[in-house]
Amino acid sequence: MYGDLQALMTALTHLAQPVSLLLLVGGIVLGLVIGILPGLGPPIAIALALPFTFYLDTVPSLILLLGIYSAAIYGGSISAIAVGIPGTGAAIATVQDGHKMFKAGQGGEALGFSLTGSIIGGLFSVICLALISPLLAQLAAKFGPREYLAISVFGLVVVVRVAGKSLSKGLLMGGLGIFLTTWGLDELNGTERYTFGSYHLYEGLPLVPFLVGLFAMSEVMIGAERVLNKIEFSDSSLKVKLPGLRQLSRMKSVLLRSSIIGTIIGIIPGEGAAVGAFFAYSEAKRKSADPDKFGTGIPEGIVAPETANNATVGGALVPTLTLGVPGSPAAAVLLGALLIQGLAPGPRLFAERPDLMYSIFIGLFLINILMMFIGLIAIRFAAKLIMVPTSIILPTVMLLSFVGIYSVSNSFFNVGVLLGAGILGYVVRKLGYSIAPLSIGFVLGPILENALRQSMTIADGSIVEFFNTPIGLTIYAVLLLTICWDRITALLRRN
Amino acid sequence: MLTQRLANIVFTILLLIACIWFAVIAQGFEASGLLASSGLPSKFFPQLLLAFTGLCAVIIAGLYLIKGQAGGDSGETVFANFAEARRGLLMMVVAVACYFVWKRFGFVPMAAVMGPLSLLAMGVKAISHYAIVLALTVLVYLVFTQLLNIQLT
Repeated sequence: MYGDLQALMTALTHLAQPVSLLLLVGGIVLGLVIGILPGLGPPIAIALALPFTFYLDTVPSLILLLGIYSAAIYGGSISAIAVGIPGTGAAIATVQDGHKMFKAGQGGEALGFSLTGSIIGGLFSVICLALISPLLAQLAAKFGPREYLAISVFGLVVVVRVAGKSLSKGLLMGGLGIFLTTWGLDELNGTERYTFGSYHLYEGLPLVPFLVGLFAMSEVMIGAERVLNKIEFSDSSLKVKLPGLRQLSRMKSVLLRSSIIGTIIGIIPGEGAAVGAFFAYSEAKRKSADPDKFGTGIPEGIVAPETANNATVGGALVPTLTLGVPGSPAAAVLLGALLIQGLAPGPRLFAERPDLMYSIFIGLFLINILMMFIGLIAIRFAAKLIMVPTSIILPTVMLLSFVGIYSVSNSFFNVGVLLGAGILGYVVRKLGYSIAPLSIGFVLGPILENALRQSMTIADGSIVEFFNTPIGLTIYAVLLLTICWDRITALLRRN
Repeated sequence: MLTQRLANIVFTILLLIACIWFAVIAQGFEASGLLASSGLPSKFFPQLLLAFTGLCAVIIAGLYLIKGQAGGDSGETVFANFAEARRGLLMMVVAVACYFVWKRFGFVPMAAVMGPLSLLAMGVKAISHYAIVLALTVLVYLVFTQLLNIQLT
């Protein structure tokens, strides 16, 4: 892919368009706003913007969504530091030290550390994305149905393992998500499956209404339950103080380690920003000369999770772009955006649309640079945003979801799917199930079914032939290792 | 209050019934013509997943029946209190009602009632919130109809 100067020039031309630049800034602002508002995370932010991408070209729409994705993860840290309520799951680890610093009158420093860490982590992961994904795409070009089956199973199992406390509940959600993709005409032989006589269902349940319903509508219902809870907040120290070079150089090992952790965790399908942030926090604590100070309000306790959670963005895009397997729920929604644009993420995309890949890499790099400046301005208005009552946000989110989905196809059926998915999401969340495996299962379902059926045909009934693929076997071995890792380390420690 | 144990047992039983029903429907999936004999039958994958989902449902129901919990939610309730349950469920009812209002009477009546009904469902008394939500509704309407040129009927 690299060395294609024409593609690079095309990408730069696309990015230099006024619409792209406007959406770049707009995406960051929107992401920051939604990130700051407690309860609305990156998947909801991207899902709400998804219908608008129907009216945009590929590059501007991806730039908008990537801006929202990166900024929403960072924005979550502002409310985590200022009010002790994480705007997103990714900022939960930041609360411990961030809010303590804020209460101690060091809010400016805390916000400065979170912004700097987020930018460094984001930039590091973009560089990794640009370096790793073309190589992985080359390898993935050799993938056949059996390899795709292995990678889809890997992605799904890993999601199930990290989502929620109960493995069986995670598996159930994953299975249900995949099952729902079997509705509609069978792609291989045209058989009608669960269409119930409705032509709307010939193409199956639509992806975008389902994902928006699952994330946004279910959040509206959950949010309505605790809407009257008041937020105690003083905006006295909501002014950013960026750390100096000396302070940053003192924390270079934390920054580097957290960037690497975040990127790697992002690459593993299903492991989201929250896992990356917690892992980086616990590693920083473990390696620290004074681990007892963590949790009392120290800069390292903010820098580690914030660097890692933004580093997961570039990491999550690696499997999404190269294999078509989403690295996180937010990446699953992003995958939906690519599908809307008529693009099939995978190794062929790198060969067919190198300009698009350049646009994504350069665009993401620009987003992280711009986020520094927009973030500094946004923090000044954060106080007003944090105080916006949830009771005003929720009806607006619901109306936006309804109108956004209807506008995509002028179809009440799609609004019905949105509503159905919202109710399903609400019910299962109330019963202690995670919607992450459900959403990833829904995205991976068609890949899984096609890969399984084609693999069965290739294997011709032979189990040995089914697994007779070095890449597939390696993926299964890594999966087995991932599943047994805790037991292996426990065994090693005992010996 | 409704316990997680009871709610999950009922949910898994309903899910099991649904799995059986969908599996029976899948028995009727028949490809016609030349494609009928190509590869695995269309019913294979859905039935495989229904069996898998059903098995998970049985395990979860078993866990709640024997251990009283799955994933450490022993003794927990689905809703913290009655007021919370009322707000969440009423919001769900409002969403469904708005869908039918839109289908029956058009977009404008739906948009006009969605905000106030949602606020009523949440138990909000501040008049200013009603005014702000209505203003935002108008803004959303104008963005979609004037800026994006979408017909909202």
